[in-house]
Amino acid sequence: MQVRIDPDVCQGHTLCALAAPGIFLLRHDDGHAYVESPDVPAELHDLVRKAVATCPEGAISIDE
Amino acid sequence: MDSRTVVNFDQHSTEYKASFPEISHDIRSRCPAAWTERYGGYWVISGRELIGEMAKHPELLSNDHDPMGVRNGYQGIAIPSPQGATSRGGFIEMDPPDQLEYRRVLNPFLSPAAVERWRPMIRELSHACIDEVIETGRLDFVDDLANIVPAVLTMGMLGFPLTDWVIYCEPAHALVYTPPSSPDFPRVLAQAMQMGARLAEEMERARTSPRPGMLTALLEAQTAGSPFVDDDILGTLSLLIGGGFDTTTSLTSHALTWLDDHPDQRRRLLDDPELLDTATEEFVRFTTPAQGGGRTITRDCEIGGHAFRSGDRVWMAYGLANHDPEAFERPDEIALDRFPNRHAGFGLGVHRCIGSNLARMTFKTMLTVILERLPDYRLDPGGAVRYEDIGTINGYQHLPATFSPGKPRGRPLEQVIDRWGSTLYGPSSASR
Repeated sequence: MQVRIDPDVCQGHTLCALAAPGIFLLRHDDGHAYVESPDVPAELHDLVRKAVATCPEGAISIDE
Repeated sequence: MDSRTVVNFDQHSTEYKASFPEISHDIRSRCPAAWTERYGGYWVISGRELIGEMAKHPELLSNDHDPMGVRNGYQGIAIPSPQGATSRGGFIEMDPPDQLEYRRVLNPFLSPAAVERWRPMIRELSHACIDEVIETGRLDFVDDLANIVPAVLTMGMLGFPLTDWVIYCEPAHALVYTPPSSPDFPRVLAQAMQMGARLAEEMERARTSPRPGMLTALLEAQTAGSPFVDDDILGTLSLLIGGGFDTTTSLTSHALTWLDDHPDQRRRLLDDPELLDTATEEFVRFTTPAQGGGRTITRDCEIGGHAFRSGDRVWMAYGLANHDPEAFERPDEIALDRFPNRHAGFGLGVHRCIGSNLARMTFKTMLTVILERLPDYRLDPGGAVRYEDIGTINGYQHLPATFSPGKPRGRPLEQVIDRWGSTLYGPSSASR
């Protein structure tokens, strides 16, 4: 699974980091989310799907 | 050609407060973008999907407020627009890119990492507020705690003397909960004017003897080589006080009310503190402390299949959208473990509540201390007073309760505030 955050759509709601804290990190300057690597380990797929579903802006996309 | 769905709707009405779920579902089932003739006419956006789509278009939905008519004459984010306004209410009444300049300056104070630094102060203030009343077995959650803690915190964030919270607290709350039709409104307005004058004094003082905090950052900021305009800095201070004081207080009051009605759920939260994260999002969704915001359509357009005309007024009804059954299963119930939770309780798009991380941390800390110190609190039956008008902020004016008395643990509140003032600004500048 590959995950991507659209930085133009993310508004820093931070719910992705609540869903999958190991994958989604929050920038110190504005709290907007980023990922260090787009590759998601298999054991975290469900959490990342939850993050997609909870993002209020629909900023996260996955490629399974 | 006119295919508008016209409804009889007013978020400031007593019906809106008294019959929220019914009104919410009625208007949405008629149309997620319905037209009401109140206050000169405006669209009410109540569908979760549509409101999300509209929030992605700040170029079509303007927040601008131009009461003097030098740009476009737009009426800003309040519906109805306040009478007698002469300037806009800070960056929430600006559009990108100017609005983003303000957020760029303020965001570093409000990121999740930045707000963590305030947690020890919030915790100690919450304990001190409870220490003040714990021997009596009685308190008013609003007056004795939930008004005080966010207000002192906001002073610290701005870089104001912490003891000044008393100057701004009551005027800021009264301005929100007093409807313009109230006989008390002229007094409330006069208080607010005095508050504005006080903010101007504070701004002048900060130019010569700056304290660390948001005001100094706003004064030092440069945009395209020029400093921010004084009126917009003052508007921003009022915005940060309004946003910082009233919303977290409201959220806390609603949560305490619901946990009083649901003792089994209070027990559940006490037993499983990890629930607090999802519970907080759910309280924000369900109560939506800031119920919505006004916009002005900048040109004829179609969004999500709905046609809008240039100059139309729009109310982004986040409170209504948060009860959309298409987006939330059993939307009129609180489920402490609801997740995913795509709520719009902090707004959506570029105007997302800039203090959302601070609000979460403050709320969680206050609630944790309350449940720890007053685990058996019971609200006075019939004692709770909700705001007369919840169309702007869905809040409580009073929330009296009783509990088993206990012993104070720390210093009196006044000393705690003084000591934190010294910590933040040094001993000499803690007070003036």
